[in-house]
Amino acid sequence: MKTYEDLAGDGGSNIISQVVSQREKLRSRLDKIKNKVALMSGKGGVGKSSITANIAACLADQGYSVGILDADLNGPSIGHLLGVGNDQKLIINDDGIQPGQGSRGIKIMSMDMLVSSPDTPVMWTEEAGATAVWVSTMESTALRELLADTNWGELDFLLIDMPPGSDRMDNIRELIPELAGAVEITIPSPLSQHIVAKSITKNNTMGVPIIGLIENMATYVCPHCDQEGKLFEGQDVAQLADRKGISLIGRIPFDTRVSRKTDSGNLFYTENKDSITGKAIASAVDNILKFIKKNSK
Amino acid sequence: MKFLCIPCDEQMETQTDGIMPDESKNLAMKFKCKKCGHMIAMLTNKFETEFVSKLGVEMGGASGEGKAPLSVVGSQLAQAKKELDRGKPEDNLIWTEEAQERIKRVPFFVRNMAKKTVINFALEKGVTLIDGKLMDEVREKVGM
Repeated sequence: MKTYEDLAGDGGSNIISQVVSQREKLRSRLDKIKNKVALMSGKGGVGKSSITANIAACLADQGYSVGILDADLNGPSIGHLLGVGNDQKLIINDDGIQPGQGSRGIKIMSMDMLVSSPDTPVMWTEEAGATAVWVSTMESTALRELLADTNWGELDFLLIDMPPGSDRMDNIRELIPELAGAVEITIPSPLSQHIVAKSITKNNTMGVPIIGLIENMATYVCPHCDQEGKLFEGQDVAQLADRKGISLIGRIPFDTRVSRKTDSGNLFYTENKDSITGKAIASAVDNILKFIKKNSK
Repeated sequence: MKFLCIPCDEQMETQTDGIMPDESKNLAMKFKCKKCGHMIAMLTNKFETEFVSKLGVEMGGASGEGKAPLSVVGSQLAQAKKELDRGKPEDNLIWTEEAQERIKRVPFFVRNMAKKTVINFALEKGVTLIDGKLMDEVREKVGM
């Protein structure tokens, strides 16, 4: 009797060739992007998306071409931060879907751009009996399609704004094995550091390069007098970085303006680069660039 | 996964006609030996059907719709923008809104085959309108 290997095809579906074709499509898209960086945190609400958007603005300010993939499929906020409204018409052709053009020419792709209204949640079926298996499998597929089918063009940087938690990194590693690294973000609170420590441990275990740790909301900057003060009574984040053997690459103050667009529709960094917060963002970006330069040799 | 006809020692071929999953996503994929004509059905339950959907591939070969950008997202995302809506069958038959909705609910990886099944059934019957009743007849015919 013939064995599996004796049978050349799969009976007409050509599943292998379809999977190979998907991989080739993804690879040809990613090959045009020089550096891919994930920004993540084990903990939600630490300001990942605001930091990601302003890091992108800082890179764009230095002349780099930048894109952001909003990998937070169920809590997308990058479009909102970069001024790409849900009402923009999608342009889809054989070569892919055109990314949104955000502030400073930053290209973005987000689930928020695909749903019919700003209030529409991301749901893979409207049937009440949707299973967790179904939702989970669809999210993996969606991430692959958002990466492979977006016409990113040539980019210096693709920043990946990760959802809270560390589970999505499994998908990202599979899709982007050449990932330059992950930036972990925490706030000073002991609870946040407790969760982020797990995320760092997981990345270390999986062999994901960690670019470094950013302490967000490290201090408080008064929007009126631009003076800096202490915000959280927490443990020293530098100790967490030391304990985990990674670098503390930035200490960014809590600044109410960071997550808002300026009156002219720009990101905070673009118009406030000389502020305390702006300089802190630039310093973190400088460290990211140093890491990438050192590790790309 | 491959299927072998033991008496003929020949690989069985996927049948692209004759598929129509029920509402609970149970599915029957048919395979036929091209030598002796013997047919078998591989039955999957909802969980197995959903698991295969992750691959983003199509049984019976890739269709034009399947190769299009965001093909799986566009076909599965509830309340997606209309630019992503490629679930509407492209043929010369008239599909009622109910029929279009029902075909869009078929799992992506077998939807193209389900469409072919419905269209072939309509052509055989000599009708140009595809509605819910006709789709019920298709399901009855293919044994689901």
